[in-house]
Amino acid sequence: MSAISVSALTKDYGPLRAVDSVSFTVAQGSVFGILGPNGAGKTTTMECMMGLRQRTSGEISVLGLDPEEQRHRLYSRIGVQLQETVYQSSAKVYELCQLFASMYDAPLEYMPLLERFRLEGKARSSVGRLSGGQRQKLAIVLALLGDPELLFFDELTTGLDPGARREIWEYVKELKREGRTVVMTTHYMEEAAILCDEICLINAGRIVAQGTVDEVIDQAQIDLVISFETDQDVRTLLEALTQVTRAEQHGSSVTLYTKSEQTLTELVLALKDQGVRYKKIRVTYPELEDAFLKLVGTKAKGVG
Amino acid sequence: MFRQLAVFEMKLQMRNFLAIFFALVFPPVMLLIFGGIYGNEPQALTGGLGTVDLMIPAYICMIVAVTGLMSLPLTIASYREQKILKRFMATPTQPLQILLAQLMVNLLTTVMGIALLLVVAKPMFQLRYSGSIPETGLAFLLVVLSMFSLGLMIAGVAKNGQAATALAYIIYFPMLFLSGATMPLYIMPDSLVAVSKVLPLTYGVELLSGVWLGGRLLSYRLELAVLAGVALVCTALAVRFFKWE
Repeated sequence: MSAISVSALTKDYGPLRAVDSVSFTVAQGSVFGILGPNGAGKTTTMECMMGLRQRTSGEISVLGLDPEEQRHRLYSRIGVQLQETVYQSSAKVYELCQLFASMYDAPLEYMPLLERFRLEGKARSSVGRLSGGQRQKLAIVLALLGDPELLFFDELTTGLDPGARREIWEYVKELKREGRTVVMTTHYMEEAAILCDEICLINAGRIVAQGTVDEVIDQAQIDLVISFETDQDVRTLLEALTQVTRAEQHGSSVTLYTKSEQTLTELVLALKDQGVRYKKIRVTYPELEDAFLKLVGTKAKGVG
Repeated sequence: MFRQLAVFEMKLQMRNFLAIFFALVFPPVMLLIFGGIYGNEPQALTGGLGTVDLMIPAYICMIVAVTGLMSLPLTIASYREQKILKRFMATPTQPLQILLAQLMVNLLTTVMGIALLLVVAKPMFQLRYSGSIPETGLAFLLVVLSMFSLGLMIAGVAKNGQAATALAYIIYFPMLFLSGATMPLYIMPDSLVAVSKVLPLTYGVELLSGVWLGGRLLSYRLELAVLAGVALVCTALAVRFFKWE
């Protein structure tokens, strides 16, 4: 069953079309990632799902509700963390927890939640004195206080150090194990690959790929790279291989680009046939980041 | 829910230096300094009233100006800029409650400021109050409504926190010094008195001082009309321009 279905969602800001006919579904209990470069329309898409923005056209159903027409019923069932929210720095952690708990009919107790997120020692600290990671964990706690079925996280780990980021990943996995559905935007491909059951990749307001991480990588049609080292000249041997798009030998190092893993078997058999001695054979599979750069286009490259 | 929110906002208000200093500490200190200099002996110039007697209603207006024109709009503008209002929208509560809580908290701060002013002034000076309490209350309420709606308008029209701060200072400072709230208008040259005529708080000081010292509310028609007009126009503008994000 799907927790969310979005169909032909379009959102204009004046003459600018921020989201252009986006459609996807999010399975209940899954983690769904919305990826894309800055300004691609990730946050707008998410805010339309949360009912914080009015869509220009298209249909959205979140937990069977229309996020615009039935916002208030929706808000007792979802929890959100917004990218830009900065809670009052003079507020104490427990005060914010009490306040948010008071907004729901059947809130969770906040102390066990703070303990679970290892913030119990910070209950009496001011928000202004928390580290970046602690603030994001507090944002999750506040999103969880209403015991939501569905959580929206907008760039939850942006700006955190790698340790804090990994800690947050564990919590997100835990939320999924509890049966909650999570929709998240992120800039980090590694994060999406680790957490998300399905992703959609948005560029300039349009979906360029969607599916599981592996499916999206497949859609990018990026060659596998096989490399090895040998002292012999193997160029004629390489030319005989099928499905190879490009093969190079520079001194002792050989690199092959191929569409198929079958090339590896062919290569090893040919090397064995001709008695070529080789070492350090390695297959590099494309990762989500490669797919992202290819699908989103040259603009986002830069980093190489 | 609303009670929780109001208590929360009040706690934060009590940790806000600007609100606490200018609404609670500054007015009694000013009163002690200037009251100490001038005393509260009856003066012929002011119809048998002492300087401190005239200062009290004027300082009440000064407190209302701080809470209404500074604390209220700056807090709301910062809540908008920090996306706190937006975060509130994604909860089962009405985000309007946060604005109501802010109005309440600033009204309460105003009342606390006045109480503190009176508690300090009472044992130090012989105060004369000859007004009617219901009429004084009504006059006070009208001053509050006009200043708070002006504050809401600042919060509504300002695009961001910086613009709100600039706008609040531009509106607040001339009113603080030129409306009679801190310095009486009778010591000012005609040119400044002319300026004071365009500042809404001038009418607030005039009305509250008049009623405080025994004048009848309804004899201040101009002041009542100006303050009510400011309240209506500014509330309309605030509603028209207010944005949650």
